[in-house]
Parts: sequence; C-alpha cells; structure tokens
Amino acid sequence: MIVGNYLAGVALFCIGLYAVLTKRNLIKIVMGLSLMEASTYLLLLSFAYRAHSTAPVLLNPPNGQSPAQLAQATVADPVLQNICLTAIVIGVAVTGVSLAVIVRISQHYRTLDSDRVRALRG
Amino acid sequence: MAALPEIEAVKITEVVDHEPSHRRVVGLLLVAAVAVTLTVAVLRLPREDSPLPAIARFAMVVALPRWHTTEPVSEVVYGTRGFDTFGETFLLLAAVVGTTTVARRRELRRGFIGEELAGEREQSQVSESSPTADHPETASQAQPETASQAEAETASQGEAHGAQSDVSRAQSDARRAEAGEQGSGHHIATPDETPLGTPGPETAEAMTVVIRAAVRAVAPILGIAGLYLVAWGYSPGGGFPAGAVLLGLVLFVYVAYGYRRVERVIRPDVIEPLELAGALAIIAIEALGLFLKGSFSANFLPLGPVSTIRSGGILQAFSVSEFVEVATGLTLAIFGLLGMGHDWSRDEAAVTQDATGRDATGRDATGRDATGRDVTARDATGRDATGRDATDE
Repeated sequence: MIVGNYLAGVALFCIGLYAVLTKRNLIKIVMGLSLMEASTYLLLLSFAYRAHSTAPVLLNPPNGQSPAQLAQATVADPVLQNICLTAIVIGVAVTGVSLAVIVRISQHYRTLDSDRVRALRG
Repeated sequence: MAALPEIEAVKITEVVDHEPSHRRVVGLLLVAAVAVTLTVAVLRLPREDSPLPAIARFAMVVALPRWHTTEPVSEVVYGTRGFDTFGETFLLLAAVVGTTTVARRRELRRGFIGEELAGEREQSQVSESSPTADHPETASQAQPETASQAEAETASQGEAHGAQSDVSRAQSDARRAEAGEQGSGHHIATPDETPLGTPGPETAEAMTVVIRAAVRAVAPILGIAGLYLVAWGYSPGGGFPAGAVLLGLVLFVYVAYGYRRVERVIRPDVIEPLELAGALAIIAIEALGLFLKGSFSANFLPLGPVSTIRSGGILQAFSVSEFVEVATGLTLAIFGLLGMGHDWSRDEAAVTQDATGRDATGRDATGRDATGRDVTARDATGRDATGRDATDE
C-alpha cells in the first residue's frame, strides 16, 4: 500500500511546518525546513513506485528480458527520480545558505532566538 | 570586566532552560488545515497500479536508441530534461557563492579604525589574567565607550599618545591572546599525544590513530567509488551522486585529520577555479548543441557503443562537468561554513552592564592619561553611550 508512504510524507511535512511556525530557535527552523524537504523526497519516490516493477535501468534487465522489452514493461518512473535528485540538490543549497546566514546572525545578535532578532540598524 | 564570564554563563543557561516557542495554537491550527488538505489531495493521487506517464515511457523508450545509454534516469537528467539540470546547476552555484560570501572573513583594511573595539574581549581577558597588568586603565581603555566612529578615533589617538611605553607589552599580550585563541598555547595534534590524566576537554584537532588508520584505508576506496560512479555512469550513477561521494571523502579526511591538515589541500584558490571551470564546461556543452544542432542541450558528440565509458554522447560530458561542479561546490560551501571565524560583534549586554560601574574606573583612567586632553570629549561621548544603550534596552 503506497498510500501509507503518501500519508507518511504528509505527516513529515506537517511536523516540519509545525517546527517552522512555532519554534523560535533558528537552527530548529532550519531543521523543520529540512524535514519538509525530506517529505517531498519521500513523496516523489513514492509517486515513482509501481507494483511489481524493477528499477529503470536497462543494463542486464531481470527475468531474461531484453532492454527493449523492459522499456515497455512496468518500471519505476525515471522522471520523478530525476526530479527528486533536483529537489535534493536544491535542499542542500537552501540548508547551506540558511546555516551560513544563521551563523552570522548569531554572531551579530548573540542569540539564536528569532524573536530577539528585530533591530534594523547595523 | 570580571562580570563577563558570568554573563555568558547566564545566557547559556537561559537558552538551555526554557525552550522558546511562540504561537503554538495558531501554528497547530494552520498545520492541521495543511494536513487535512494534503491528505485529501494525496488520497486522490494515482497509486502504484496506475500506468506509467507518457513522459516516463518516452524516457524509457528513447534512452537506448537515441542516446546509447542504459540509464534512463541519467538520460532524463542530462538529456531530455537537460535544461532543468542546467538551471539547477546554477542555482547550486548561486548558493555556493552566497554561502562563501556570507562566510568569508572580514577583509583586511588600511589603517587602524576600530581595532580596539574588535579586540576588546581578548584584550580584557589577557589584561585581567596576566600578572604584569599593573595598569588596570589599559583594560578599561580598551573597552568601548561608544560604537561611534569619532569616539573610536579619539580612543586610538589617546592610546597612540599615551601608550608608547606599553607598546612592547601590548604586543606580547596580543601574541598571548592569539595563542590562547588557537588552543590554549600548547599545540596538540592528536589525542594520542595528550599526556595521561590531562584535565578538561580535549584540545587536539585530529582524531586518534584508530580513526586515522581507518580513514586512510577507506579514503582510496571511496575516491575510486566516486570516480567509478561518474565514469561508468551507464549503470546507476552520474555526476550528482559521484560528487556527493567525493564530498563524503573530503569530510572523512577532515574529521580524522582536523581542519589544519585539510586546509592545505582544500584551498579556496584551488577549488574555486575548478568549480567555475565545471560551470563553464556545462555552459559550453549545452550551448554548443544550440550552435551545432540547432537546439540547446542537443547531442553533438558521436555516440560510443552501449555500455562503454563513451556511450551517451554529451550525457557523459555533462555528467563529468556536473561532478566537478557538485563536488567542488559542496566542498566550498561546507568548508566555508566550517571555517567561519570568531567574527563576533561586541557584546552589547555586557557593555551596558559595565556602563554603570565603569564610570569611576573610566574617569580614573582618562585622568591618568598621559596627554589628558581627551578627557572631556571622552566623557561626553561616554555619557552619550550609556544614554543610548539605556534607550536600546
């Protein structure tokens, strides 16, 4: 039942969203963002899944199929796997930039509490 | 300045003790709404028994005849959706540039504007701890009266006039402060060299011999695995996972041998040109398709036989360039983060706390100043500083 995966993805997304909305520690907000990103990976790869399928790799297909046969048979969705790869890279980029900014914020304001970062001068 | 460590301790316990959070109810309501919406949406989505979408089927069918590759995912990443990957590459590049820009150290300046503000903490610690600090006024002089530029200049002027005899002592203090910053003076490379029964946390920068030996054994295997993933990308592989594997290798070596050993190899002046070369190669590969074949990201290279290192045409070239780009970019970003120095702003709370008790010592210090001509100006700005600090709070 792949619906379980879908629901797990939704649950992960909501946990991350809750952390982003209610936490004041900037590191925890980034952790919530990362959780939301991870939920999209889970969702994308679950969308790519097909019952009784193999990986979308044409090298030495299983069950004695030829590559041309495998291309017509049930395989996991390669396009969604590609999009998941893109999502992972973007997630890394977002996390890296936000952590660098957070280090500078904590050095400037001497706090990780987002509620105390409100001065606009300097 | 004796109050400084206590203030820091109070701050730390404050952070640990009560977990700050806000708008719990609103957050819960919003999250519940999102959860319901997403659940309804997700339950209507196609499941595992639905047929493959047309684009996925197209990628499967087209991979072998048109691209001579046995990896449809790579074909999608670098071939049919090459433009998407192109944009993603430069998103990554932008993120790396942003991270390194934010993480870079302060640039060297000409002149000595605000030096005593930047170094006040170290200065006060050294002056406090050193037994030769028989002039307490140097410590209080080093403390900032205000953050304003004019005040900083008057302070430096006063020091330049009055502290000529203290130059050599100040220099030795600075050297001691630097040594203290770099690991309490004595240099321990690995925990194996720590004397038995040494109190306190470990100050070594590298791991023990066990971990170093393990990393020595694992590093070549990981390196070869990464290069295999990108070179023989027709079995599952490609530039992104290979770059991530190489980043893992760099991080292993960093953890085992410490920042200083890795810093010599992973130098920004080596890595940054490599990364830009990878980005340039990607632009060239994609744009050449436009000039030679009439469409961006079209294949213009001859296709090698299937299941060889040359199969796939521009897929392989794109993949290798992407490997260089990803490996160097992620390394740059992570080492930029790891190398972020102690670039702290001055401690406003501590300064405000000091401002009340500082008046006596501060006026004493200026009174005993050799020139003595800055006294009034300093006092005026000093009172200004306390007033402004009070309004800040």
